[in-house]
Amino acid sequence: MKNERAFEGWLRTLIEGRSTRRDVLRRGLLLGMGASAVGPLLAACQREEPAPAPGGATPPPESPAPGAGTPTMTGTPEAGTPPPAERQVLNYGANAADITTLDPHFAAATQDRNIVDMVFNALIRYKPGDSSEFEPDLAEEIPEPEETADGKQVWTFTLRRGVMWHAGPQNESYELTADDVVYSLQKSANKDRSAYSADYAGMTFEKVDDYTVRITVDPPLSPTLFLPKVANYNGGFIVSQRAVEAMGDEAIKTHPIGTGPFRFKSYASKDRVELQANDDYFRGSPRLAGVQVRFMSDPTSRELALKSGEMDVVGGVADSTWVQKINEEPNLQADVFGVGEVAFLNLNMAREPLNDIRVRQAILYAIDREAHLAVFGGPPVAESVFSVVPAQFMPGGLTQEEAEQAGVAYGRDLDRARQLLAEAGLGDGFSLTLVTSEMDAYRKNYEVLQEELREIGITVELDVVDHSTMHRLIREDVNPIVIYIAFRPNADVYLTQFFHSDSIVVTGPRPNTNFSHYNQIDDLIEQARVETDPERQEELWKQANIKILQDAVGFPLHYINQVYGRSKAVDYGHEVKSSLALYPGFTEQTTVQR
Amino acid sequence: MMAVARELPVAGVRERRWRGVQAFARNRTALVGLVMVALLLLIAVAAPVFAPHSPIEQSTIHRLEPPSREYPFGRDDFGRDILSRVIYGTRIALLVGLLSVALGGILGTAMGVVAAFRGGRTEAWLMRLTDVLLAFPDLITGLLILAVLGPGLWKMIIAIALTITPRFSRIAHGPALSIKRRDFVEAARAIGVGDARILFRHILPNIVGELLVLASLWTASAIRLEASLSFIGLGVRPPTPTWGQMIRDGTVHLTNAPWFSLFPGLALLLTILAFNLVGDGLRDALDPKTQA
Repeated sequence: MKNERAFEGWLRTLIEGRSTRRDVLRRGLLLGMGASAVGPLLAACQREEPAPAPGGATPPPESPAPGAGTPTMTGTPEAGTPPPAERQVLNYGANAADITTLDPHFAAATQDRNIVDMVFNALIRYKPGDSSEFEPDLAEEIPEPEETADGKQVWTFTLRRGVMWHAGPQNESYELTADDVVYSLQKSANKDRSAYSADYAGMTFEKVDDYTVRITVDPPLSPTLFLPKVANYNGGFIVSQRAVEAMGDEAIKTHPIGTGPFRFKSYASKDRVELQANDDYFRGSPRLAGVQVRFMSDPTSRELALKSGEMDVVGGVADSTWVQKINEEPNLQADVFGVGEVAFLNLNMAREPLNDIRVRQAILYAIDREAHLAVFGGPPVAESVFSVVPAQFMPGGLTQEEAEQAGVAYGRDLDRARQLLAEAGLGDGFSLTLVTSEMDAYRKNYEVLQEELREIGITVELDVVDHSTMHRLIREDVNPIVIYIAFRPNADVYLTQFFHSDSIVVTGPRPNTNFSHYNQIDDLIEQARVETDPERQEELWKQANIKILQDAVGFPLHYINQVYGRSKAVDYGHEVKSSLALYPGFTEQTTVQR
Repeated sequence: MMAVARELPVAGVRERRWRGVQAFARNRTALVGLVMVALLLLIAVAAPVFAPHSPIEQSTIHRLEPPSREYPFGRDDFGRDILSRVIYGTRIALLVGLLSVALGGILGTAMGVVAAFRGGRTEAWLMRLTDVLLAFPDLITGLLILAVLGPGLWKMIIAIALTITPRFSRIAHGPALSIKRRDFVEAARAIGVGDARILFRHILPNIVGELLVLASLWTASAIRLEASLSFIGLGVRPPTPTWGQMIRDGTVHLTNAPWFSLFPGLALLLTILAFNLVGDGLRDALDPKTQA
């Protein structure tokens, strides 16, 4: 046993001593290579794709936030009573090289979302560990909307009393009021100060009294579409008016001030972020002394750090073999949970020969869902999904049964695929050149597709490029088939960004991610968006999904869940089914018993 | 440098070369290296004969299977045969190694010799450019060039060739400079022999030894560079197997499927060793100090 530990320690040093790919690239930059040449490579190493909001700008990973250059930024000195001795600090090894930004209204990368989730609150929140349910957070309860005489919709939130802001370098701790909430939501709606401003179009925010906020929505929205905008996700997080005004929008990117169970203590660039318990937290004192987030981009390092006990929780590898391996260890547990990111095909119907629906259908009949699942080790990490909108996580998606009933489940049928190609006059096959990201989740799916299409005579030449180059190239419409992997918070966002004609890449009026050039369901999307009856709304979204599959412009392969490893000494304090913050969730209830 | 310390007419070069071959043949480790290189070439050329399975055919239900009789090196994360992929990977390794060294060697030698021959501003420009390129570690230069060119097999060969070029121009420059001033070159020039003839007849034969040593050592480095660049993910188009890419894909499974990275890693190790052994042997054989 002791020897094993020693061996692991040795192996770990070996691996850490060796430069990771990211290190090589970063060092390249330090050595004075042209930034323009290395930029795309560097950006490739960011795990997350660009921020989902249309028109929103995600700042580059190395954005020169004040203080980022200095090795350590220390927060405010310890406040109040020292925490009880038995409380532990939870060590979390995050799959990232560094933070991007801790301004919640820009945070998009997984590691940023994780930290923001611990520091901030919102009016309402997704239940910890279960993103299918809302509960009140800063608001006392979730209100019902009222219709005004002129056809607008009003949501009135009553705030919890006695919620205290963390003390910051330039602000004392003070009580949260309606002023903060209005200020914060207005920041979220401002396109210069938020990546998610588009979500707040047509909304106005006003203070009724210190503990009451009124939000007017025009045109009215269903709760399914409205509530996420004021929940603990993207623009819904509430920032402190005094802290932001005193520090400025730049400084809060590396020194967030919130109301959450953990407050910011220090940040060391490319190394760690330290959070400490906020003993004034309105749900009670945390049972942890703090959370230390360590940036460990090498998966083997994270795994060994977990095994050696150096880390209590680590970001895992999206592969079921990894889950098995961790679960074989007596003291460790792998957690697999949503929300899953859907991997799906977009077939460009404006491009020859894919403009022929028979060719697109042939491609879909060549696809073996099982093979695409298997390269990730199959369930539980990767699971099948039957419409681009995942029915498992949100209303509006199709279940397997519904897809089969509508005759749009497809399924591998090579004879039929070859016959369709022959009917289209392409019996001898043809060839395509596709660009893929070097990231595993993309490259593996493209390589399986390449093999599948080879069997029906379609030759695919694959060019592997770095991640951000792929994102740029597919937006320039180079790929006749685009595999995209994404989570979007609701069906409206999925359908609007990927299948509304406004979002068509290059040629659309507001180019976004409509890679298929599809324009047949605009009316369904728009009708559903303003439908305030949730059931009717869901029905419209389902119709849209069926149409997408009938026209063979979009095809879901699977969704990939979040994978984490933890020591059994860790108790999150809640069951983990799904999390929009893309980590298990560390709250005031979380404990470590060492 | 030492090989040209003496003034050597052409007949002397031939004689010395023959003595070099004899010295090489007496060096056992160098011979082992040579046999290994020959074997690698054979495997690369006849890969389809040696490979028991298709290197690209996927069978995802068999992914990450451990080594077995049927699949002695196990299977990768797409269920492909690792042995066959290692065998086919030899092709890319040698193609990149040999071609980039040939390209870089020709270009670099030309630069060095022309600089020595022309002197003046040409020499200053070419050699300062060499200095600048030499200032970067090889991987960084390769990375930089590849970042500009974009990924792909031929672009990678060009990137590695350009990385190697300054090494050759530096080595070719010195001896060429000293030979240029020797009496026999002056004599040849006096009887009206043209530049090109002097270059090919008198200068190149005298520095070919050093260049060969450099070429064999840099072939090993070029293969290592190819693996490093593929490891970063900027290599050859999939599904073409390359060792660097295989090692990279295996790192995620290092603790549960070590064979995935191990075998391509071993192949890489042996290949680099082979070229280094040959290079060392050549250097010893051509070094006048070590000759009897």
